[in-house]
Amino acid sequence: MQHTNVDLDAKIPNNVDLKSDKRLQRALEHWLPQYLEWWKDMGPADKFNENDVYLRTAVGVGKGGWAHFDYVKMPDYRWGIFLAEPVDRTIHFGDNIGKPIWNEVPGEMRNRLRRLIVTQADTEPASVEQQRLLGRTAPSLADMRSLFQVNVEEGRHLWAMVYLLHTFFGSDGRDEAEELLQRRSGNADKPRILQAFNQPIETWVDFFCFTTFTDRDGKYQLASLAESGFDPLARSTQFMLTEEAYHMQTGENGIGRIAHRTAELLREGTDPRSVGAIPLELLQKYINFWFSASMDLFGGEDSTNAAESFASGLKGRYREGDGIYKDPKALGQDYTIDVVEGGRLVEKQVPLRRAMNALLLDAYIADCTRIVARWNRDLAKLDCNFEFVLPSKRFNRNQGVYAQFRFTPEGELIDEATWQRDSGAWLPTKEDRDYVASCMKPVYEPGKYANWIAPHTQGVNDTPLDFQYVKFH
Amino acid sequence: MAEEEQQERLVYVCDGGDCSEKGSVELYERLKEKLEAKDPDLERVKLRKYPCFGGCDCGINITVWPDRIFYSKVTDADLDEIAGHLEGEREPVERLRGHVEQDVEEIIWQLLDSPY
Repeated sequence: MQHTNVDLDAKIPNNVDLKSDKRLQRALEHWLPQYLEWWKDMGPADKFNENDVYLRTAVGVGKGGWAHFDYVKMPDYRWGIFLAEPVDRTIHFGDNIGKPIWNEVPGEMRNRLRRLIVTQADTEPASVEQQRLLGRTAPSLADMRSLFQVNVEEGRHLWAMVYLLHTFFGSDGRDEAEELLQRRSGNADKPRILQAFNQPIETWVDFFCFTTFTDRDGKYQLASLAESGFDPLARSTQFMLTEEAYHMQTGENGIGRIAHRTAELLREGTDPRSVGAIPLELLQKYINFWFSASMDLFGGEDSTNAAESFASGLKGRYREGDGIYKDPKALGQDYTIDVVEGGRLVEKQVPLRRAMNALLLDAYIADCTRIVARWNRDLAKLDCNFEFVLPSKRFNRNQGVYAQFRFTPEGELIDEATWQRDSGAWLPTKEDRDYVASCMKPVYEPGKYANWIAPHTQGVNDTPLDFQYVKFH
Repeated sequence: MAEEEQQERLVYVCDGGDCSEKGSVELYERLKEKLEAKDPDLERVKLRKYPCFGGCDCGINITVWPDRIFYSKVTDADLDEIAGHLEGEREPVERLRGHVEQDVEEIIWQLLDSPY
């Protein structure tokens, strides 16, 4: 499992020496047509699969460039299996600290590890399904290209996880890989595993919020798995993070560009609604919704499962390997969680290991705080005094210690009647969603943009902004 | 600076979208080469890539911890001085500091100064 030579000519491009394991190669080549069938049914809708799209394709993992850009029809995209280059290391956290990393699955960790991989894997096709209709309303060709780039790379991430399932989990893994293609986002009978991946992504405002906030949850989950003592998982997720960075940048810049456009209109005295743009207050509601839904993906703040994954060496803290934590075993310290008791918030101490999800969530919130500050700085440059605010981590939660209670965006505990009365001011209403949907008019002319979003400041891969990113047939 | 005063440093080079478009990935490799010239196994400096500090307007950004030094607008021309600082041979490069807002700096220090 230490090979890093890239075989780009194989039916399944890879750097895992797939050709030396004929059984595995056959299994994955058997899965390939099923995957393509899923892509045809649940990938980008309409005839976009017939178009030539200017896409980045991973071709390696080392120095000197890892991707190349060219036109490709999405079904012909070279979905490959790439693991980051191996490094000489031992397990660096938890009870197994100092022991050799695992290149095979330790028997006692098999079920836990499989669940971690399947849960991560399930999000990849789910997001493609959620976003499949957005090509119809792309605000520019450059944005359409970004959407399809995100889609094909989420597909590649599914490949990365399916490789692990097929290679290390026998028939159970093969069954799980098949089920990944059978579940459907939002389907009542066979939904995706995590709730945020069953939410419809009906508009580009949802898409940019999703890639900002929900893909960012993915970043933190992948980063904690990249610390894993199970080396194939660590190396798979390390390389996935390289691609995921573009997805988050797409979202962060997308919301920033929407806000920028609205602030320009406000500066010239134009009501955004009068020209089909997105009011900032409305954008704030979408931020409230997607940020809170994404926080649910971190799981319970007080979790014995998280404690066991850390203790065993399967899932570390964010940047654990950089040595920024005082105790790599995370013993002997408590973490303080505010919980509701007797109708008010009180502090509860939990052993640090049980608070691993909460710690990861803290790092995520700090990252999101950075993004919001960046958007606000841009608004200020445009003489706009509106400031976006992240809601409290207690707001609108459906998982964890706050799920049974209602809170304002500021984190104040409220009763159900108050929630029912006021939540329409905090979260998108049907009228809000209808309005945003009414703004979504496609713009397919190179270099042109819909009126509700500012243009990109530069083209991808040094291309000009009027580049023909998608060639229609 | 006396050798006994040196402490192991964690150095992050931003490889977020804006910084990488300004060449941060290549700059990381050149800084690594300079550091390895004096410390082949990088025992005194842990050099890592980091996915965006939020100081995008001021990239390329580099942080040095535990010194809490936030270098911005870094170019190849600055690398000898930065490497000299990291090797304990000179003081921090002051002209590269103080370009980003304080709140941007604080976010990364909060992570690195974890009480855990």
